Amino acid sequence: MTITDGLLLGLQSAMQPNILMYCFIGVFLGTLIGVLPGIGALAAISLLLPVTYHMDAATSIVMLAGVYYGAEYGGSTASILLNLPGTASNAVTCLDGHPMAKQGRAGVALFTTTIASFIGGVFGILALIIFAPYITAIGLKFGPTEYFSMMVLGLIAASTLASGSPAKGLAMVVLGLLLGTAGADVNSGITRFDFDIPELADGINLVALAMGLFGVAEIISSITRARDAKSNEKITMRSMIPTKEDVKASAMPILRGSGIGGFFGALPGTGASIAAFMSYAMEKKVAKDPSRFGKGAIEGIAAPEAANNAAVQCAFIPTLTLGIPGSATMAIMLGALIIHGIQPGPMLVAEQPVLFWGLIVSFFIGNLMLMVLNIPLIGVWVSILRIPYHVLYPAILVFIALGVYSVQNNASDILMVGLIGLLGYGMFVLRFEAAPLLLGFVLGPLMEENLRRALLLSYGDLSTFVDNPISAWILAASGLILLYSLWSALRRFAKRRALKSG
Amino acid sequence: MKSKDTRDIIGGFALVALGVFAALYAQRYDIGELQEMGPGYFPVALGILLAILGLFIAIPAFFREGTTIHIEWKSLIWVLISIAIFAIALNKAGLILATILSVLAASIPSKSSWKTRIILALCIAAITYSVFLLGLGMVLPVWPWSH
Repeated sequence: MTITDGLLLGLQSAMQPNILMYCFIGVFLGTLIGVLPGIGALAAISLLLPVTYHMDAATSIVMLAGVYYGAEYGGSTASILLNLPGTASNAVTCLDGHPMAKQGRAGVALFTTTIASFIGGVFGILALIIFAPYITAIGLKFGPTEYFSMMVLGLIAASTLASGSPAKGLAMVVLGLLLGTAGADVNSGITRFDFDIPELADGINLVALAMGLFGVAEIISSITRARDAKSNEKITMRSMIPTKEDVKASAMPILRGSGIGGFFGALPGTGASIAAFMSYAMEKKVAKDPSRFGKGAIEGIAAPEAANNAAVQCAFIPTLTLGIPGSATMAIMLGALIIHGIQPGPMLVAEQPVLFWGLIVSFFIGNLMLMVLNIPLIGVWVSILRIPYHVLYPAILVFIALGVYSVQNNASDILMVGLIGLLGYGMFVLRFEAAPLLLGFVLGPLMEENLRRALLLSYGDLSTFVDNPISAWILAASGLILLYSLWSALRRFAKRRALKSG
Repeated sequence: MKSKDTRDIIGGFALVALGVFAALYAQRYDIGELQEMGPGYFPVALGILLAILGLFIAIPAFFREGTTIHIEWKSLIWVLISIAIFAIALNKAGLILATILSVLAASIPSKSSWKTRIILALCIAAITYSVFLLGLGMVLPVWPWSH
């Protein structure tokens, strides 16, 4: 199938009224939770997961994806107006966005971030269309050995690159893998780690785990910390019009940001936040006068916002074509597809062309909707920023409880969310990250399955993982990442020592 | 500042304990061998790996400074109570009462006045009723007598 055929097929699918409606609901909710500081895309997607059980696969994934990229649009609003990042990947936008607002240029900043987001998003979608067939072709050659190594790479990258402590990140991945083994074993049918409690026989529910770790734990830690910052900014359409200099100054940063974002988005383990930081650093490096940064330089908001949107779209490449998610959010999307009986991987494009191309076209439509939502309707979001957190969180708590109950109409799942929330808060207090745990949990069963098959084929010979050339390269890359993170951890340690003695 | 990083010492040893427990508990499943792994192989291996990583986290922490651990006990306890109330009350007392009670419990750690809390509870009950029952068509007991 050529790209044109695919896009036409996708257009037919994406223009169906119910898909359009769920796409709109997705990007609308995404913008909403992006605007509100303290609740991220991950929590929102896990909250919506039970709702998708009653929908078909295409509409669910279109809606969940809409929340994901919509949040990147909305997230810059709070960064600019309140100096509070709406989501983690918008943190860097605060640096120059808030100074711009203080100079009375909030309107221009909001306009620029929306346009940058749109261009970055479209760039990411194009990269997805162009690269997906190649990655799919590689993926088709993969056997269980390559798959296992690929998952090792993804998990190592995700747990070490983005976290402060590689050992803690890796430990969380292993804990996630271990939690993933609970429930029925596919090969023998034996129930593992059920402790003779019938509720545990099916293992831990993905929805309960995600909501406990990201919803409940986040609420507990934010109740007293949440600052109810207020912004009385009135954003008019007129104030949003950028000057000629603004347009000129932000054009190249947007393109550079899109490129950087697309690259880091497609890699496992890195993602929107790293992409945004990288592109900010890049702009500072190429700027003629780097001292302007941090004082309201428009490049400093244009590049990262293009980068995080490109990254979010490109994150779909490994998930859809290889079935290997690079981040916890993508892991939940993968979970949503598996729940509907669709196994993402190299066969997805061939077996589910309507789903694949429909999703891509819906990304275009969703990004267009987001432009409308974020430019003419910006006033709505600015007023939503005035909702105080103490009104919001009890409602979120009730939604979490009802959401998890609705999965199997089981009240004990609600208690499970409470327990996992306790675990999540403990992890927060001890500074362990929850995202690698979730990624490990989703990949656990797939990893065990591929490990068993690979070793069955090699008659129990572990050297199969290095004799196989593709697998050997992937494992070598994983080893390099491990060494690099070990080295940078040691360097940090040495620096602290030097500071103390000097 | 503390002379040891208590966070990682607690966290690391908790992981060691979890790993050892998992590795021992999974002994009851068939381990098998590399070529034909039984259901116990993967969990035992992961348990051992987790315990080793736990040591890697805990031991260096003895030789570096850390900050004091701060726990929001009030938020933690009331959020958990609120969830437990909802879980227990949902089937017995119905959606409306469960929502009101759990919102009241959850809002205790916040600075709101009791008047705000009660209004908030009533509003959220109305919203959940219209979203989950009218909007999404979930089948739930609404009142204590609706069985």
